Parts: sequence; structure tokens; C-alpha cells
Amino acid sequence: MIDPILLALVLTVGFLILAAILASRYGISKEVSISGARAIVQILVLSSVIILVFKLPIYWSLFILLAMATAAGYTTYSRSGKLELMFPASVASIAMTSLIILVPFFLIGLFPLDPRYLIPTGSILIGNAMNVSSLAIDRYKGELRNRRGEVEAYLALGASPRLATGSCMKQGILSALIPSIDNMKNLGLVWIPGVMTGMLLSGSDPVQAASIQVCIFIAIFLTGMIASNLLLYYATSSFFTQALQLKDEAL
Amino acid sequence: MADFHIELRDVYRSIARQPGKDSARSEILGGVSLKVDRGELITIMGPSGAGKSTLLRLINRLSEADSGIILVDSTDINAFDPRELRRRVGMVFQIPVVFKGSVRENIAFGKELWNTDADVEALVAEAGLPPALMDTDAANLSVGEKQRVCIARALANKPEALLLDEPTSALDKASAEKVESLLLRLQADHSLTMLWVTHDREQSRRISKNNYILEDGKLRQDHD
Repeated sequence: MIDPILLALVLTVGFLILAAILASRYGISKEVSISGARAIVQILVLSSVIILVFKLPIYWSLFILLAMATAAGYTTYSRSGKLELMFPASVASIAMTSLIILVPFFLIGLFPLDPRYLIPTGSILIGNAMNVSSLAIDRYKGELRNRRGEVEAYLALGASPRLATGSCMKQGILSALIPSIDNMKNLGLVWIPGVMTGMLLSGSDPVQAASIQVCIFIAIFLTGMIASNLLLYYATSSFFTQALQLKDEAL
Repeated sequence: MADFHIELRDVYRSIARQPGKDSARSEILGGVSLKVDRGELITIMGPSGAGKSTLLRLINRLSEADSGIILVDSTDINAFDPRELRRRVGMVFQIPVVFKGSVRENIAFGKELWNTDADVEALVAEAGLPPALMDTDAANLSVGEKQRVCIARALANKPEALLLDEPTSALDKASAEKVESLLLRLQADHSLTMLWVTHDREQSRRISKNNYILEDGKLRQDHD
């Protein structure tokens, strides 16, 4: 019988090539190829060291989660067009929110305080906070660009940048949350997400798997909403000069 | 030396031809000087892209001059808090932008922001808007009505000067005439200093005797 690892890799590479070919129509073939190749290498490296990581003392898990949050923050920062001060703001908003939302899982004893639970659960929250934050900052920027006239009408009346951009910020967050809201609506109806799938495949009780999945799912939504809110709150000043003018180069 | 309400001394401003590339800049204003007395109405004409809007934006610091000095009440505008400067020197744009909410909420915006004693009902009447529109969603108004809301909203800030960036050019002829006479009446009633940008020479001569032309980055008086 052919090794399933090899089969999975062959299928992955096939899918990635097809995706890259189709992505060329949108001019993102290179980005898709590099991102896909990175994903393959990163996940294979992770799979070979994860058992070792699980055996390390618990504080190592925190370092690993912080490293993950830093990488996530960098991705969001890149999506912002590398706006001034956005790197620390992205890392801080993603790390703080994810870690705070992670605490109750272990505090109430849903999961034992063990790297085997801490790292995967934390990474799910961090990864989703990154996705929502990247979408939010990208959309926020687009809103500011498209609604410049409105923002400047506020500024011209003496409004602060925060007041002037309130509606754009709200729209940025709402747009970024649409996929999460749709996923939430259709949980169990259209799709069975990763945690539950994993638990079912490993033979867990379906009701237990579903309870944990829905809890993680709502936590993901909450993390994304809070992290993107914090990020856009801090991002606003990066779009303005000291004299409260919209920065052309930031838009 | 006479104190002017608004004064520009040798103001330069260039813009990036390609966003983010400082090397490819073109000069929009090349040493503009201007003196406007308190309560005076001047017009600024010029072809498209001449920098008329840019000139207005520099006065309330929506944009920044590269060099030169701009004075309001004999004080360098850089010495003002930008928000306070914008309250004093209001602006009305070519395309009227109404905020989400009713006509009343739009006009009360500046009153609440600055805690001024502006009378919203009186401003609606002054702007020639029917009182029945007060609680209408501002987004549903015609362009001409929106421009009136924007003018009333700017006045609720109790400004001393208004910068008018082609305030009638997006309107149909009838609305444009109404907005023009509204602005002239308000200027007289409130002793407002007004800098009125227009591309219409007839309008320029109709509304003021102090007319300027902005061309090739330079401002000159229109004596013809």
C-alpha cells in the first residue's frame, strides 16, 4: 500500500499548482505559490518537532505562542501596507486578545494545562485573530480611500480623526467579520470544522466533540472581533499626520 | 501695518505625480501671496488642476504647504490647534457630503462638537430648507438640498471665515442660483470672510469685485 504521507503530499502539490495557475488570472500567482510552499514546509517542520515541544516545560508553550503571535502580527502588518507603528500594534492586539481568551479554557478545567492542549488551542485563536485583523485593516484602508471626502468633511468641521473615521472603522470590522458570522451560522449545517473532525477521527464521543468545537468557535469569533477592534483603534493614528491630515502615502 | 484676516506669503506646494514617489513631484503652487480683509469676499478662478482646491485646503490645514507662511488673524496657522483652526475657518466642498442621520443631526454636529450657541432651527430657515425636512434622512435629499445642509452645518461651528470650493458647480442651474444667493446673504449677515473658488468667470464677477486667477502656480488679480 502506498504511504499516505506521500499520497497527501502529491495531492497537496497538485492542488497548489492548480491554485497557482488559476491565481495568475488575478495577478497573485507568485503570492499563492510562495504562501503554499511556505505552508507545506512550515507544517512539515512543525509536525516533526511538535512531539518534542509537547515534552518541554509549560512556560515554553507561552514562548511558542508569543512567537506565533509575532509572526501573525507581521502578516497583518504587511497587509496594512507596513504602516508606521503597525507592527507592534498588530502583535500586541493579536497576542493580548488570544492569550486572554485562552485563559478560561484552562481556568475552568475544560482542558488540562498541558502543552498538548495549550499550543493547538492558542494557535487556532491566534491564526483566526490574524485573519480577521488582516481583513479588517485592508478593508479599513479601502474605506478611508473610498470615503476620503466624508472623512475630510468631518475633519474640516474640526472633528478628531477618531470621530472622522468612526464609520469607516465600523465598516472595516463588519466586513472582516462576515466570513466568521457566516461560518457560525452554518456550523454543523454546511461544515464540520477542524477540531471536531480531528476528535471524531480519533474516536471521541460526537457530543463531547461538538461541545468543545462550538466553545472554541465562539471564542474564535470573540478573539477576532476584539483583536481587529484594538488594531483599528491604534491604526487610526497611522493614517494621519500630526496636523490631523490624512496621509496620502498611507492610503 | 494693516492686519488682514487671512494672509498667504510666498506659499509653495507640490504633489507627488506617482503616489509614494517623492522624486516625481509637480509644483501646484509656486509662491502664492494673498491678503484678505475681515468680512471680505474674494473669488479665485483658474483652469482645472490649477491648484484652486489645494490653495483652500492649505488654509485650514487639510493639506500642508511645502514652504511659505499662512496667517489667520495675524497668527501663523501652525500655531493653532488644527481642530480650532478648522472651526474658525470652515469649508464647503464641491460635492456635498452629508453624514449618516437626519438633517437636524447633520446641522447640530458642529454645535455639539464645539458646544456653540448655534440655533439649529434658525440655521435651517436661513439655509432655505423647509422645516418639514428637519427629521428627514439627509441621504435622501437632492444635491442642492445637501449643499444647503453642508453650508448650515459649517455655520453651526460659528466660523469667522468660509472656504468655498466650487460650492455651486455640482448643482443644476436653479439650485446653483439659490445656493449662490444664500451664500451671499449669509456672508453679509454674518460678516464672514469668504474665499470662493469657481471656474465660472461670470459668477466670479457677479459675486465680487476682488477676483483672482490662479494659473501656472501663480495668483494674480483679475483686472479685465
